[in-house]
Amino acid sequence: MLSFLSFLVFNALLACSLASSDYHERLLLRPLPQSTLLASFNFRSNETSAAFEQQNFRYFPRSLGQILQHAHTKELHLRFSVGRWDAESWGQRPWQGAREGGNGVELWAWIEADSDDEAFARWQTLVNSLSGLFCASLNFIDATRTIRPVMAFEPEGDHRNATNLHLLHGTLPHEVVCTENLTPFLKLLPCKGKAGISSLLDGHKLFDASFQTMAIDVRPVCDTQGQDCLLEMDQSVDMVLDVARSKRPQDNPIPRPVPIEQIECDTSKHYNGHDTCYPLNKGTEPSWSLKEIFGRSLKGACPLTDAGPGSETLCINTPPERDIHIETDGQFTESRSSADTMRCYQLPIGSDFDLVLPEQQMSTGLVLPEPQLYAARSINGHGQERGSAQSVITNPSARGMEVVYLESLPWFMKPYLHTLRAHVDTDSENPVRETYYRPAVDRQRGSHLEIRMVVPPASTLTLTYDFEKAILRYTEYPPDANRGFDAAPAVVRVLSPNTMGDRKGIYLRTTPLLLSLPTPDFSMPYNVIILTSTVMALGFGNIFNLVVRRFVGAHEVPQTGGLKAILQAKIARLTGRS
Amino acid sequence: MTEIGGEHGCSLVGVHICQRYRKRIVEPVLHCPLSPDSTYPQPPIAYTEHYPRLHEFLEIGAMKFSSALLPFLAAPLAAAEHTSNWAVLVGTSRFWFNYRHLANVLSLYRTVKRLGIPDSQIIMMLPDDMACNPRNSFPGTVYNNADRALDLYGDNIEVDYRGYEVTVESFIRLMTDRVPENMPRSKRLMTDERSNILVYMTGHGGNEFLKFQDAEEISAYDLADAFSQMWEKKRYHELLFMIDTCQANTMYSKFYSPNIIATGSSEIDQSSYSHHADSDVGVAVIDRYTYYNLEFLENKVRDPTSELTLGELFDSYDEDLIHSRPGFRYDLFNGGADAARSRRIVDFFGNVQNVEVDNSAQRNETQWQEELEAIEKMIEEAKRRHNESLNARPQPLNVMEEVQHSERQQNTHREGAMRMDEELSWKKQAIGGAALLGCAGIWVVSSWLESM
Repeated sequence: MLSFLSFLVFNALLACSLASSDYHERLLLRPLPQSTLLASFNFRSNETSAAFEQQNFRYFPRSLGQILQHAHTKELHLRFSVGRWDAESWGQRPWQGAREGGNGVELWAWIEADSDDEAFARWQTLVNSLSGLFCASLNFIDATRTIRPVMAFEPEGDHRNATNLHLLHGTLPHEVVCTENLTPFLKLLPCKGKAGISSLLDGHKLFDASFQTMAIDVRPVCDTQGQDCLLEMDQSVDMVLDVARSKRPQDNPIPRPVPIEQIECDTSKHYNGHDTCYPLNKGTEPSWSLKEIFGRSLKGACPLTDAGPGSETLCINTPPERDIHIETDGQFTESRSSADTMRCYQLPIGSDFDLVLPEQQMSTGLVLPEPQLYAARSINGHGQERGSAQSVITNPSARGMEVVYLESLPWFMKPYLHTLRAHVDTDSENPVRETYYRPAVDRQRGSHLEIRMVVPPASTLTLTYDFEKAILRYTEYPPDANRGFDAAPAVVRVLSPNTMGDRKGIYLRTTPLLLSLPTPDFSMPYNVIILTSTVMALGFGNIFNLVVRRFVGAHEVPQTGGLKAILQAKIARLTGRS
Repeated sequence: MTEIGGEHGCSLVGVHICQRYRKRIVEPVLHCPLSPDSTYPQPPIAYTEHYPRLHEFLEIGAMKFSSALLPFLAAPLAAAEHTSNWAVLVGTSRFWFNYRHLANVLSLYRTVKRLGIPDSQIIMMLPDDMACNPRNSFPGTVYNNADRALDLYGDNIEVDYRGYEVTVESFIRLMTDRVPENMPRSKRLMTDERSNILVYMTGHGGNEFLKFQDAEEISAYDLADAFSQMWEKKRYHELLFMIDTCQANTMYSKFYSPNIIATGSSEIDQSSYSHHADSDVGVAVIDRYTYYNLEFLENKVRDPTSELTLGELFDSYDEDLIHSRPGFRYDLFNGGADAARSRRIVDFFGNVQNVEVDNSAQRNETQWQEELEAIEKMIEEAKRRHNESLNARPQPLNVMEEVQHSERQQNTHREGAMRMDEELSWKKQAIGGAALLGCAGIWVVSSWLESM
């Protein structure tokens, strides 16, 4: 197997060649093992700071720009994610995890304000406005879901007045990401999904992906003197599609068994017979085309894209022997780089473009870059009252890693900091270097735990702590309380060695936790009412009877003489009174 | 109307252009202070009836309307017309097996969008996610029919309230516009007294209540009071209330505010039923009442110019097909059943407004042109002042501000996580042990003293 270059070179190339252009978009396709395909969309638009301040928007979307101005937000990072990046099979994350978010919605921003209270008020304005823009319940990011990270995030942009900037971070791990979030995302693009690579973005395929993340990043970029500033907006979508699953027709996506005559059997199996068939594994790369995978055809280039060398819109990272056919009526150019493993295409304007890859037996493959770290987190323990959380961070490399581990826990999950233990399997030294902690206050704020640690080479770090589960008030339970409550994914940032050399940083995130809290039977109040009523009726009724009634023997009751006597008595009383 | 000749033909599309024109022009004028020598005789108050100048703008347009518009113009304009259309579409059920309720809402969303109400004027509440639900074998889609001909989720959809946001409180706040300061415009019902509103609700209900997310209920009284508050706040002109749930007709029985037409799927002690299930989706996909409403709307109301009336829609309901008895309420409507039934369907489901032409003011052609020029001058003036203010920002002021900032910096305390350092635990334990020993010593000494 030959080894081929990968992402690192490519990302660096993209970063340096395109910083000055006004609008650029690029789609990178990369086959992954197990017949999956990574599609990384990136859209970058620039606006000068002067134009932005005068609300003279050209490529920067006005709707978002005005929100940022209103909320005094200088740098913004917004993520919508679904699924898990399978690092064991797929290798390193796209953008080294810097354009990825935790499951659900994650938002962090640097806000200019004079005081903490003002910053929080502006943060509230920001999340509410974004909730309207992106059709997401971002307004649920209140004080209980907001933290102020100390070490885990650094501004990516150049800020002049850095002392006044406040970093706030909020997550909604349970938030659903669906087509209504993609619609506003596409509307922010200059070509609105009508042309260019964004015409491939279809909710039906995007939300069927094994892993997908949509990111919006806004940051100011200044030259070295700090004079000419640009506001740069990066929109990216990364998704991992299962090729076989994506090729299913949209109107009939349920896999049906193939007739036995059409299956090629593996005759080497000893049980192979006329009624028993093991499907033959041909070991070939599957065939696919853009139209099959994305369910739509690529409608040529977005005419607003800058032209010139290095601005190819569509790139595919495959071994050079892989056959690729182009289907288009328009003019296009192809360029190869990185020992021919990267083929890039300048798309035609106004005519459809399609890449067709036939089924092919391959002798070489791509070597996937190994991720710097693996991280996993789980809940241990039993019972409804308390539990413990365990995070396992593995460093497969031959170098020690300095990492920051950030947890933002909901207030009803209360960690005991004295039970925090960090243990490395190859080293008895305590790996914790620095700890920042802010305890939760019931119904007011969540816990914030941030630890700087060193993971020695080729070793595994295990971090555990115990926590207690709070009992919520009756009205605080959501309608689907028995589903459980989500705790946001932990963020792991690699401080050093930083191989990327840019300011985006290297990140990875664990999966969210599903925390089952003691949940009452919601018909309980009615049971209580019914039981109370019964007790009242029985107890109070008996006592009331005893108090107000006199019990006498049957023979002691004066004879009334029946109806006749009663009537006579009444008449007598009437006549007597009159 | 005849004294102005014109060559700019204004086709049917022109109605919308004129409508937009009217709105755009009015707003700046209403907020501009008028100088005494202005050409305006008196400041305008409201923009349809009391503002003749605008009608003259429209008059120009009206002159050039093609003959397709003539029936609209000829229609009697005795009653005040509406100038905007809004739709509030509410599903109230969570969980996968209530797929059909969300499909109901999305079907109505598609219909009103098809008939011209823009996304910004549709408030949609969806309590659960069906399209991207892991149980959905058709990811990103919601179907309302087993033939799966129409994907309701499509690729252009805006859901305003979703998930846990769909509560009784947020619904009533939306209707009465009692919302927090930060509420984005897309989540607000920004109607006025000339807005027609379609309110469609579906979910699980009972006698005089409708459940929200299986956790709380809205009662018929809450709904009636919310509508009455809307009427008092001049938040609607006419309102069509439509509800598909069990015992639906009880939900509108308590209404007492004027100009409401109400219809429901079933009367008291009657259930509303689902229409059919899709075996691949695995659950029922639509309710009967909504299905037959849609059947009428899709087949008969093909475009926004449809002249069909609500009466014709209501008459199309067939109890044998719906399996329950739909109810109607006209008594609150100004003009009673006849007026209510003669309202066009697109008055509520569409976004078509009539153009009012005011013939009473006899002014010559040059006057409106002068006014137009005056407005242009005002805009130019405003632009110039804005640009001046941008350029003339004195530089020293910035320095002053920065100085203030840095002064403030020094005494701000930043809240956030505190650094936790490793404690010298042996020292602490020694102190604790010593304290314990001291206490024990005092106790021993005192008991020894006592025993003496």
